[in-house]
Amino acid sequence: MARYIFRRLIGLLIVLLGVSVITFSLAQLVPIDPAATALGSNAREEQIAAYRAELGLDKPAVVQYFNYVGRLLQGDLGTSIRTRRPVIDDLRDYLPATIELSLAAISVAICIGIPFGILASVRRNGLIDALARIFALVGGSLPIFYIGLSALGLFYRELRWMPGPGRLDSTITPPNTITGLYTIDALISGNWPVLQNALWHLVLPAFVLGYASAAVLLRMTRSAMLEVLNQDFVRTARAKGLRENVVVLRHALKNAMLPVLTTIGVTFGSLLSGAVLTETIFGWPGLGRYATASVTSLDFPAVMGVTLVAAIVYPVVNLIVDLCYRFIDPRIG
Amino acid sequence: MSEQTLTQLTSADPQTVSRRRRAFLRVLRNPTTATGLALLALFAILALFAPLISPFDPLFQNISVSLHAPDSTYLMGTDKLGRDIFSRILHGARISMVVGAAVVAMAGTVGTLVGLIAGYLGGLIDEVVMRITDIFFAFPSLILAMAIAGALGPSLVNALIAVAVVSWPVYARLVRAQVMSLRHREFVEAARSLGVPTWLVLLRHIAPNLLAPLLVQITFDMGGAILSVAGLSFIGFGAQPPTPEWGVMISEGRNYITTHPWMPGMPALAILLLVLAFNLVGDGLRDLLDPRMRS
Amino acid sequence: MSRFRHSPVVLFMLVMSLLLAACGGSAPATPAGTDAPAAVEATAVPNEASGEATEAPAEPAAEPAAPASPAGSGEVSREDTLIFAADLSDQISFDPAVAYEFGGIQVVGSIYQTLLSADPGDPELKPLIAKSWDIVEVEDGWQITFKLDERAKFATGNPITAEDVVYSFSRVLDVNKSPVFLFSDVAKLTKENMKAVDPQTVEIKLPKDSSPQVFLSILSFSIGSILEKALVEANAGDDLGSSWLNDHSAGSGPYVLTSWERNVQNVLDANPNYWLPAPTFKRVIMRNETELANLQAAIETGDADIVEGLGSEQIAALQGHPDITLVQGNSTSLTYLGMNATKAPLDNPDVREAIRYAINYDEVVTLLGGNGTLVQEIIPKGLFGHTGKNPFSQDIAKAKELLAKAGVAEGTEIEFLVPDGTGPGGIEWSTMAAKIQNDVAQIGLKLNIKQIQYAEALNIYRAQGAQLIIVAWGPDYPDPDGNVTPLTLYDAKSIAWRNDWNNPEIGALGQQAALETDPTKRAELYAEVVERVFHEGPYAVLYQPTVNLAVRNHIKGVIYDANDTPSISFDVITK
Repeated sequence: MARYIFRRLIGLLIVLLGVSVITFSLAQLVPIDPAATALGSNAREEQIAAYRAELGLDKPAVVQYFNYVGRLLQGDLGTSIRTRRPVIDDLRDYLPATIELSLAAISVAICIGIPFGILASVRRNGLIDALARIFALVGGSLPIFYIGLSALGLFYRELRWMPGPGRLDSTITPPNTITGLYTIDALISGNWPVLQNALWHLVLPAFVLGYASAAVLLRMTRSAMLEVLNQDFVRTARAKGLRENVVVLRHALKNAMLPVLTTIGVTFGSLLSGAVLTETIFGWPGLGRYATASVTSLDFPAVMGVTLVAAIVYPVVNLIVDLCYRFIDPRIG
Repeated sequence: MSEQTLTQLTSADPQTVSRRRRAFLRVLRNPTTATGLALLALFAILALFAPLISPFDPLFQNISVSLHAPDSTYLMGTDKLGRDIFSRILHGARISMVVGAAVVAMAGTVGTLVGLIAGYLGGLIDEVVMRITDIFFAFPSLILAMAIAGALGPSLVNALIAVAVVSWPVYARLVRAQVMSLRHREFVEAARSLGVPTWLVLLRHIAPNLLAPLLVQITFDMGGAILSVAGLSFIGFGAQPPTPEWGVMISEGRNYITTHPWMPGMPALAILLLVLAFNLVGDGLRDLLDPRMRS
Repeated sequence: MSRFRHSPVVLFMLVMSLLLAACGGSAPATPAGTDAPAAVEATAVPNEASGEATEAPAEPAAEPAAPASPAGSGEVSREDTLIFAADLSDQISFDPAVAYEFGGIQVVGSIYQTLLSADPGDPELKPLIAKSWDIVEVEDGWQITFKLDERAKFATGNPITAEDVVYSFSRVLDVNKSPVFLFSDVAKLTKENMKAVDPQTVEIKLPKDSSPQVFLSILSFSIGSILEKALVEANAGDDLGSSWLNDHSAGSGPYVLTSWERNVQNVLDANPNYWLPAPTFKRVIMRNETELANLQAAIETGDADIVEGLGSEQIAALQGHPDITLVQGNSTSLTYLGMNATKAPLDNPDVREAIRYAINYDEVVTLLGGNGTLVQEIIPKGLFGHTGKNPFSQDIAKAKELLAKAGVAEGTEIEFLVPDGTGPGGIEWSTMAAKIQNDVAQIGLKLNIKQIQYAEALNIYRAQGAQLIIVAWGPDYPDPDGNVTPLTLYDAKSIAWRNDWNNPEIGALGQQAALETDPTKRAELYAEVVERVFHEGPYAVLYQPTVNLAVRNHIKGVIYDANDTPSISFDVITK
């Protein structure tokens, strides 16, 4: 087991290395000089040259890359050209907002996808199955940015059922930073008004971000359940006269969980892409928005920081998923 | 995720190829698939004949009818500059369909070739290729696409390249898995023992068996690519104004969503219908080709 | 195996708890941001600027980027809080030596004071930190002596001394960022020519070719902010305190900077040691809102008390709303096309003139829906020297003729840099750009729109990298020179430089006008400059926007004055 995890971690390292090489190569393609950009229009040539030397930009690309990796190993992600702060500080500010949003979105997806997937498989070809199928197909076809815009327009501006953009009302001071997830921090410090407000602000963006995943999850749950429900052991269980609920929930569901779990893992990785658009619309100060702003200002130290962090998330989530497999079905591995 | 399902597809032997013709007839009898195909056909016709059907030039501005509500002259209303949204949507359909096809063609070709080589040769090459696809899977696709588009400069073509770059690994993995399951089957072994050269084995015996799963993947990806490119355009990394690209149109209409809802709403509806059409067809194909999913 | 047995359980529980949280969110809760009296629970953290700063041993520079901790204040009720929402995404810095964009200057102007200042709506300069000043002509230039007000003190409670003034001005020159040209090139201020004579007296010498009146105007702009020397030096780090100043304030203004949640909002709290009458609102929250529809929603719901930068659609929708007053502010900014004078084909003056004749200015104004007026000269309405002349109107035939004369082929392509988001007058930059593109296409020039983030567009422009750009400019001080020097003098390294347009003759004419003391002669000189820039310059001025605010009815005294720093004085707003 430990060796398995070790092997996976090595794999993760290789992935991170690859990601850094790709992003670094992209940075070399950029036609604009980051030093001149950072110093503004009044900089004299010698100032720019000095700054280039300070950033190590005067060295060959390969040397620059190894310098970068060297600093990376010391936990130094460099300094953002745009915000003029260490990238690690920026990430510390923006990452928790995205994690919180993604967890909420995946919760929404699970809340909708799994129960309705089960229902659709049990009442196969019935009304619920048909509705679920339509939901899943439409869910996968809607442009997330339009849904975000109209959800905000309808539920905030027109109906006023939901709060506006952002993680909290303006008047509410964020809770003391412990994890950076406002809900968790508020929970830990027992700050109920903040908790309530933070949850309230999460609802719309989480639904917008999560509905596509819900659709995927629903389809997956349905097909996995169908497959299991046709198998011998389920028939046996039925033949033994067990109640249908027990058959479905105890016997079939457990066996259908494997592909569903995989899907959750894969979906979680893809949430970050959706977060870019969702965060733009909901004024959510997260990694997606930071990435957008960094790319638009060709701030490649920041872009590299974001991609590295993002590249850690996907393999780690999938490792967790794999470990969950083993928990559910010890025969694997 | 579709990859997951698809690798489980057991592809048919060469003998079954003739059976596929009947299979396609069955596709048409499935109501959802038929709806999807009908929608696709409609979009294809609209896109193809856009210059003939459009009542206006998609770029023609007429400030005096700025933000006109939909009526018999302006079927979908006008935007701030008085451009006819219906005409823009029709021309946008051309862009979106070409975009989808181009992305899939690029990603599909590269991915298939890489997958064929990795799966057939195996060994070190396979290992390296799989690690590379790992790297691409770990990237959040939109952020990588943004970074590529940012480095190359914002334009529709660069957005297209960016989406293709993040899409090819899916094909590589899909094809690789298929090839690995095929290469030890009797008909392949037999051909090899007769001394048929590798490229001919790949072309004649393996490639035909890849068509079905690839077709499903391509259909779904067309929709996905259209959504991705529209998303990139929405945040400014794709098509540039005044191109009547649907993502750009939604972005231009974002401030009017409550006061003039047709402005962002119509292009959104167009995206929904076109992507839905691809998904319906893909869904039908998958059901058909995967016996376990069939009712 | 057993060691990992529980991890999925933990994960599951975590997911479930969030799931419950997400699902539970739909339980009836107080709809946030309506009338519910929102008690603000501010975390009380000791004010980092508490007293001992003057001679304190330099503390190890605070972590440069630690987010500002909520300082000072305890709870502030919603009634005592003023919420202002606008597009503040241009905020880069709150260091007065760096800040040069609306969002940054609005903050700097609220937390710092200058030696002298104008009241909102009245251009006359009045004493602020300086109780009096005196300009004497000496043999080699001008000598200006400022007497500081003895009562003036910083938010720390320490008195403002002449040394702080000299430090603040020298620091601007040392930091050497975007706005420095106002000191170095316009006023020709040098570090050697500033002197603290005694704690209450500052002496500044300017060369003959610098205008003392213009200098005083510059001092009322954010770059003239007075910083507390000891406090900044104690936190200087390796960048003269620039990054520290992004999260802390070191001034004497009515408010202090409590926090900057980047891309979200700034919280300003009333200065506990303010030496002038305290402002009505104890706290001001400046919220960043980039979507116009959300801006409208914020004022309708009462989530914000003041919103700035509405578009014509939003204004039409808010007209007649029982709880909302619309306020129009006069802006002195101009939206214009910058045409780089060394990048072909725009290096040919005839091509630039052709573009000026290609544009349908009437339709440009129509598009603005009353949010802007037709102005084509480089001196906006509201400033001395404005002539009111608009020589251009669309003339396709004439424009084509000019192009033919210049030998430019039909279909020649030009890259057109366009910021994203909303521009002055509440119209999307892309919409205006598409309009221009459409008009210019009629004379056979093909503009390729390249849309990027505003700050990045500025970056490229500042590096002379734009071929054609649509952008806005507002003078930094209410004097025609605030436009004429940057737009005509190449060596000022401002707008003329960005467009790589070097016409020493017109530049010199502008400088002569700045120094002219006789108003009639001055007006004549400016008229000549305006006339020549019309046809020789690298600009096509499109319109002068108005700034549109919506204010909740219970908020009084909101004035938008583009000539004032900050444009909205939060301290005079009452309820």
